[in-house]
Amino acid sequence: MTQLDHGKFSKMTTTFHTLLALDVFVLFFSGYSLMFNDELWWMVNLMGGATGVSAVHRIAGAGLLALIVFWMLMMVTTDTGRGNFREILPSKGDFDAFIQDVRFLLGSADERHPNARQFAGGTADEIPLLTYIGKGVVFIFAAELTLLTISGLLIWSKTGVMELMATKTAAAAFVTFHGLLGVIMLMGVMFHIFEHGFHPALYPVEVKAFIPRSMIPEEHDDDIEGTGIERLELAPSWNMASTVVGAMTVIGIVSVLLGSLFDEGYPVPREIAIGGGPTDILLTVGINMGVFVLLLGLVLQMYGNLLRVRWQKQLEQEASEPTTATDGGRVESEE
Amino acid sequence: MSYREHLPETEGYPRAAIAINALVAIAVTALVLWWAADFAVFYEELFRIQPVAEGANAGVGSDWTSGNQIAWLDFLIAITHAADVIMGVFILFMVFLHWGAFRRLASRMRQPGDSGSSAVAADGGQVEGGTTAGDATTAENAGGDTAGDDGGETA
Repeated sequence: MTQLDHGKFSKMTTTFHTLLALDVFVLFFSGYSLMFNDELWWMVNLMGGATGVSAVHRIAGAGLLALIVFWMLMMVTTDTGRGNFREILPSKGDFDAFIQDVRFLLGSADERHPNARQFAGGTADEIPLLTYIGKGVVFIFAAELTLLTISGLLIWSKTGVMELMATKTAAAAFVTFHGLLGVIMLMGVMFHIFEHGFHPALYPVEVKAFIPRSMIPEEHDDDIEGTGIERLELAPSWNMASTVVGAMTVIGIVSVLLGSLFDEGYPVPREIAIGGGPTDILLTVGINMGVFVLLLGLVLQMYGNLLRVRWQKQLEQEASEPTTATDGGRVESEE
Repeated sequence: MSYREHLPETEGYPRAAIAINALVAIAVTALVLWWAADFAVFYEELFRIQPVAEGANAGVGSDWTSGNQIAWLDFLIAITHAADVIMGVFILFMVFLHWGAFRRLASRMRQPGDSGSSAVAADGGQVEGGTTAGDATTAENAGGDTAGDDGGETA
């Protein structure tokens, strides 16, 4: 399997990834503006108050249900889907990759393990479909989305959840449980955005999830040893951007974690009151930073799709106007 | 599509499977939501908010901690809190790990404005001028682009 860095996913998978990302972002924005309503009061208002937020959340929830049912069907009913299952199973190489990543950070390893390489360059032949992080993402997000969908469906109908839970307060507690479940994914997605947006060789967005492998020419030199990363030039803004977004990612993760402990979210107050005291102000700033990282992720994933469109246009253009006609073919200009 | 000529043949998903599965998924979703709504979509106003507490903390179920008598639900919430903390710490570790690894990788790359030439041409521009020096440090290349066509060894 020879693939360049951005020739990873099939066309269906790239489209699915985009739809899932958009849907999950909307679920995060609506769901966590409910849960952290005193920190994200402006977002509740933006979506039309408690009623509007709930409506947005339910519509996006219906979308998620359709998406995961579709995905499960694809994985079970097609040969490609069944064949890919082997690719996501964790192996010893993945554990080694994790250990070697730590050693790479500490300076006792010179290279990242093939199972950890996001930029493969000349070593594209050696790297698996998914890095060890990628496999973790698939497993954790799949488990999270399944649990969130089931618990979400159980609280879809108020009367239903009341029958299930016996009391109104218990029903509200179950809603809280649903919100707490999503916190792992919320933190994971922030990391996912940092990981795929700020690799120095792939900054500002890694396109392997956006440009399908069917659009990537399979040609690379076999005479390069290693990845060849030292031949790439670092973007001038990378240093500042990665530092700022890295810090925001850390602050965002810490804040939503603390928020989920202190601020169990339900109820939605009728009058929004920002909690008093400096810690709450800090928490408000932190959670809003986390939301900003998510917004950045939303923008980057749209940018990834823009790059795919440009890439395709460029391929079409090159096909219609061969710049280097080695075979002496004529260039035909199209009016 | 003519531009496909030089592109690889890749295994994808059959179109028919995508179409059929999409329809099945939408149908299943509709059914499941109908079930979730108690088979009566118009039975009640969906988004009814009924505050159960008065005063500064007015809101739905604001006293759920004291009002919740279900032990397993309390346990589930406690477990989920614990899982959030454990996974949160792990994810933070992963962020720092990648942050550090990225900085180390970035230090191997050519620094912005290091040499007059630009890096790999994304449009697959041709290499002009012959060879680069074989050492891992950036060779000052007098000949413009160093696209990824000629060898340069890593350290």
